[in-house]
Amino acid sequence: MARDQDMIDPFGGFGLGLRRQHYANFIESDVPVDFVEVISENYMVDGGRPLRILDEVRERYPVIMHGVSLSIGSADGLDTEYLARLKRLEQLIDPLWVSDHLCWTRTSAHNSHDLLPLPLTQEALQAVCANIDRAQDALGRAMLFENPSSYLTFPEDEMSEWEFLTEMTRRTGCYLLLDVNNIYVSASNHGFSAEDYLAGLPLDRVRQIHLAGHDPATPERDIIIDTHDREVCDDVWALYAKAIGMIEQPVATMIERDDSIPPLPDLLTELDRARGLALEPA
Amino acid sequence: MSDLADKQAAFMRAILDDGAPLPEGWSERQNAGMGVYRGNYRGSLMSALEATFERTCRYVGEGVFKRAAAHHLIANPPASWTIDDAGAGFDETCADLFAENPEVAEIAWLEWAMQDAATGPDVEPMAADEFARATAGFDDGQWTDLRLEFLPRATARVLDHNLTALWNALTGEGPDLPGAERQPKGCIVWREGERPTFVSQEPDNARAFAAMQGGASYGEVIAMLAGDEPDSAAVQDAAMRAGGLLGGWLQEGMIATLNA
Repeated sequence: MARDQDMIDPFGGFGLGLRRQHYANFIESDVPVDFVEVISENYMVDGGRPLRILDEVRERYPVIMHGVSLSIGSADGLDTEYLARLKRLEQLIDPLWVSDHLCWTRTSAHNSHDLLPLPLTQEALQAVCANIDRAQDALGRAMLFENPSSYLTFPEDEMSEWEFLTEMTRRTGCYLLLDVNNIYVSASNHGFSAEDYLAGLPLDRVRQIHLAGHDPATPERDIIIDTHDREVCDDVWALYAKAIGMIEQPVATMIERDDSIPPLPDLLTELDRARGLALEPA
Repeated sequence: MSDLADKQAAFMRAILDDGAPLPEGWSERQNAGMGVYRGNYRGSLMSALEATFERTCRYVGEGVFKRAAAHHLIANPPASWTIDDAGAGFDETCADLFAENPEVAEIAWLEWAMQDAATGPDVEPMAADEFARATAGFDDGQWTDLRLEFLPRATARVLDHNLTALWNALTGEGPDLPGAERQPKGCIVWREGERPTFVSQEPDNARAFAAMQGGASYGEVIAMLAGDEPDSAAVQDAAMRAGGLLGGWLQEGMIATLNA
């Protein structure tokens, strides 16, 4: 059910993901960011250093919670224990918003710890929307969901990913975390137009943008892999410029790096490039 | 089970097992995509195990460790929402795989216990003067019935090896590693502030700690230390030793509270 009462006000700014290698930078100096995003699961613990660090960080910067294990596409429904821990963290840190991915990660028996693709069918849409309703009810707030990168599509697909996302936001009132790199990766892997994808989305529901690097195709492997282990490539920057030009409300833009983490100044330089593109006159 | 649930179960089987059949009608393109998901699954879990069992990996060597980790993941595919749990039971896997080198499983157990302690609930240990005030008026019966609660996630076990020197060497980056000294030791793991730590002392220390953690009273611990059919000297000696252990736990900051 759409949760119009839980509107997420647009928040414009530029931020980074909080990674262990940069803890000291964020708590001992004023890093020029407007927000930090944390991986929810890293802090869904009972105590110890991670929660103390997070407590110090949130005193200095607005925080966004970004999860990888909600498994909103699971046909088996949501993990009750996971949802309770997510809510506990949300209540502890009062984030700007809580996000996860349009994907599934678990069955009732096993967890892949990877963002697995959904068939784009009415049945999957129904399962996703039911799970989003449950998650948003549990948290008492609307959530953001990120478009995934994917490496295969299903023969039984009944709609495009942007049609799926559009209907998902309409039915549940959720918002979108637009990962521009993921659009580029999936468009390349599946042969659709990234511009068509952007044009087909309800862009007024976008509250955040992710930018990341990927492993390009090779002569031996024609699949692009979303790795978050290198700089954002020029094609993705160009797509970001298009996206930001199409979105009318302020959005939060972030560089997302999860592997081969460079010194913080390198990421801040990339973030400056995003600022330059977003703030330059149309 | 719904059609979607069936498909997800089949997809998961295909990720976990290269030999599992792929859905009918899949093309080479989809098979190639499945290869990426399989690689992601293995890569992320392998990285998680390498991060948790860094010292075990260094001790046995990277290639051997990767084979052991792969064996563990095949035998114990993860079910928990947190990837940190992928290492649960890895010490038992090591005990099976490295039966000739039992210290490997003990290093793995210690790494797992240290990781577990690191994110336990934050509880201030009981200070010595607080303990002294709480027990100041105790009579013999109250001492006998005394029960303790230790810090959350503290754990104790008797190991067949003294791992202290080896652990310290594995923590550094020097090229030479000492062998594991075969000598039964009682190992207790807990957290000092934010830092997980351990002590390796006499086996009775860990046995007594585990007994009290399991609900035994101080009097029952003294009886355990005194052994079967003790004479009065043995009981007195056990009481002295129990007092020493209690003082050590208090000194180290392992005790959360007492239940008289």
